[in-house]
Amino acid sequence: MGRDKILQRIRSALGESHASEHDRALLDARMDQRPSGPKVALGAERMSQFLTKVIANNFTVERLASQQLLVSAVRALMPDDETPDISVAKAIQSLGWPADWKINYGPGRHVERLCVTQALAGIAETGSVVVASAPDNPTTLNFLPDMHVIVLRAEDVVDHPEDVWARMALENWPRAVNVISGPSRTADVGGIIVRPAHGPKRVHLIVIDA
Amino acid sequence: MSAQPQGFQQRAAQALSDENLQRSIGSLKGGFVAARARAVSALPEFEAMREAGRAIKDHTLDNLDYYLTRYEAEVVRRGGHVHWASDAQDACRIIRDICARVGAKTVTKGKSMVSEEIGLNDALEADGLEVIETDAGEYIVQLAKEAPSHIVMPTIHKTTSQIASLFHEHHRQYGFEHHVEDPAELIGQVRSVLRGKFFAADVGITGANFLVAETGSNVIVTNEGNGDLTSTLARVHIVTAGIEKVVPTLNDTSVLLRLLARSALGMDVTSYVTYSTGPRREGDLDGPEEYHVVLVDNGRTKMLEGAYRPMLRCIRCGACMNHCPVYLSVGGHAYGWVYPGPMGAVLTPMIAGHEKAQELPHACTLNGRCQQVCPVKIPLPDMLRHLRHDQWEEGFIRGKARWGIDAWAWLATRPKLYHAVTRTLVGIGALLGRSSGRFRRLPLASGWTTGRDMPAPQGTTFHAAWAKSKKQG
Ligand code: SF4
Repeated sequence: MGRDKILQRIRSALGESHASEHDRALLDARMDQRPSGPKVALGAERMSQFLTKVIANNFTVERLASQQLLVSAVRALMPDDETPDISVAKAIQSLGWPADWKINYGPGRHVERLCVTQALAGIAETGSVVVASAPDNPTTLNFLPDMHVIVLRAEDVVDHPEDVWARMALENWPRAVNVISGPSRTADVGGIIVRPAHGPKRVHLIVIDA
Repeated sequence: MSAQPQGFQQRAAQALSDENLQRSIGSLKGGFVAARARAVSALPEFEAMREAGRAIKDHTLDNLDYYLTRYEAEVVRRGGHVHWASDAQDACRIIRDICARVGAKTVTKGKSMVSEEIGLNDALEADGLEVIETDAGEYIVQLAKEAPSHIVMPTIHKTTSQIASLFHEHHRQYGFEHHVEDPAELIGQVRSVLRGKFFAADVGITGANFLVAETGSNVIVTNEGNGDLTSTLARVHIVTAGIEKVVPTLNDTSVLLRLLARSALGMDVTSYVTYSTGPRREGDLDGPEEYHVVLVDNGRTKMLEGAYRPMLRCIRCGACMNHCPVYLSVGGHAYGWVYPGPMGAVLTPMIAGHEKAQELPHACTLNGRCQQVCPVKIPLPDMLRHLRHDQWEEGFIRGKARWGIDAWAWLATRPKLYHAVTRTLVGIGALLGRSSGRFRRLPLASGWTTGRDMPAPQGTTFHAAWAKSKKQG
């Protein structure tokens, strides 16, 4: 069987003395300690660096004082004369979406103008937003729409990706963790940057302060 | 893709007279090289990061059996399957079997160098499957029936008007009647054509930039979002990865990702970094029903044995080729296989075999730029010197390219290539020098610190003298 053959080849390449009880204990300890390496020092206070970087990454951003304002903020992203037809993650279903809108709470569809999902965290170092999959936060909503709206609580902004990992329970590690740092893009035709490629053309971040 | 690394000289000569190609690869110098230099000089921590990245990779390779089995246990615990493939044939068979079992007809693919290495597309197409590359660049070279010529920018050799003609021919069936040359419109066509394929796919195959032992995740790094649509919308997600891709923890991936984005693109971060772990969970509305990982050896355990172990640190950033005067003179196709440039000159003989790649370790001036920029400090010139030695031992070297003759002699006997390489070397030297003086102080693998130190070509006199000395020697 391939497995045993390959592991045997690895062990003989590494030498006999390798992986003693003692070695294994050290390796187990490293896994538990999760050492972190050099990070990029933040150039400013956490939230201001986060917002500066997010804008540099070509997100559009707005801050709301409370989540009660979310529905009208989303409404303002769409043409006035159209009845909204959007997809919303169930995680934010209870925010009072108008009954006359067409809202899909399922997975993403072939054509999606606008989808709204909930972020797990923001990362100040790189201006990134972390979105984790869950039954109430489907992954496809992050990639199929023309405009992706991400809802992030201000208190969930951290300095570095390592800080996100530290807050997450490994036991319940999500199926998909998407670290998003801007709209979809490519430079595969003539080296010219084009947005979008396959994913959203615009990523709109809504930071909720309370 | 079948390996054709023999014939480097002929392909190099063709490449030098291909004006389109020269213009395209020339853009790397102003683009990636300058962007990387800016990103690196903005970051005082960069040298410490390189050292940390090297240490993580070395530590993992030194304990590879431990980390692979830890990783495997995590994948299985979260409902995934791990398959082990000794060689390319094994890997293709495993994937073909999965496709057959689930009754697949359509296969979408995210960018995966390993899948190119094992010749997966040909194997699946031979079984009658429709295989669609979804990275825009990979899609373009697939339509053109070509190979990628750069590991990060597969289409660097293609001009916009060549791509326009290609789409005009192939996209008519999707209702795109007109010949357009606007990059945004061309990419719009790709988006529209492939959107349907993502939904139709039975199996989605992606690579992995990293495998995380701690969580059993595979990590993919993209800007387009194609990898995510591939892995999320297909019924079955298959990950192909070399056994060297495993790293211990999430924190380790963060160190390596900082290095990767800067070294590959000169950016802090790419648009998407995705950690995928197992099949869809109970209650999930999307995600694959099955999740498989195919761990590929294909020569890697051989590299682990000794002198070539550092090569397994490679994170496939492409910086070594972006800074290589030979690559920048002849382009990726001259190397004849999946992996071009300095990393390819080492990997190709190691994976495809010395007998198939005699010339590649000589397509190098030992100027040391690749090693200076490699984010995990792989001593590429040393590896190449080793390969020349091994080739000599194994009796693969004929005539001029003998072990013991300086690398520049190999080049100097090829005047056209020599002049192109010299020009390029001076060009990159200026770029690196302008943006970051500190490179000049780094120890170099050879005595050639700048292009100017390169011995000037002596024309026919030199060649004649050299030939004479050879006869005497
Ligand atoms: S050898 Fe180093 S520079 Fe070249 S692709 Fe690999 S990691 Fe990047």
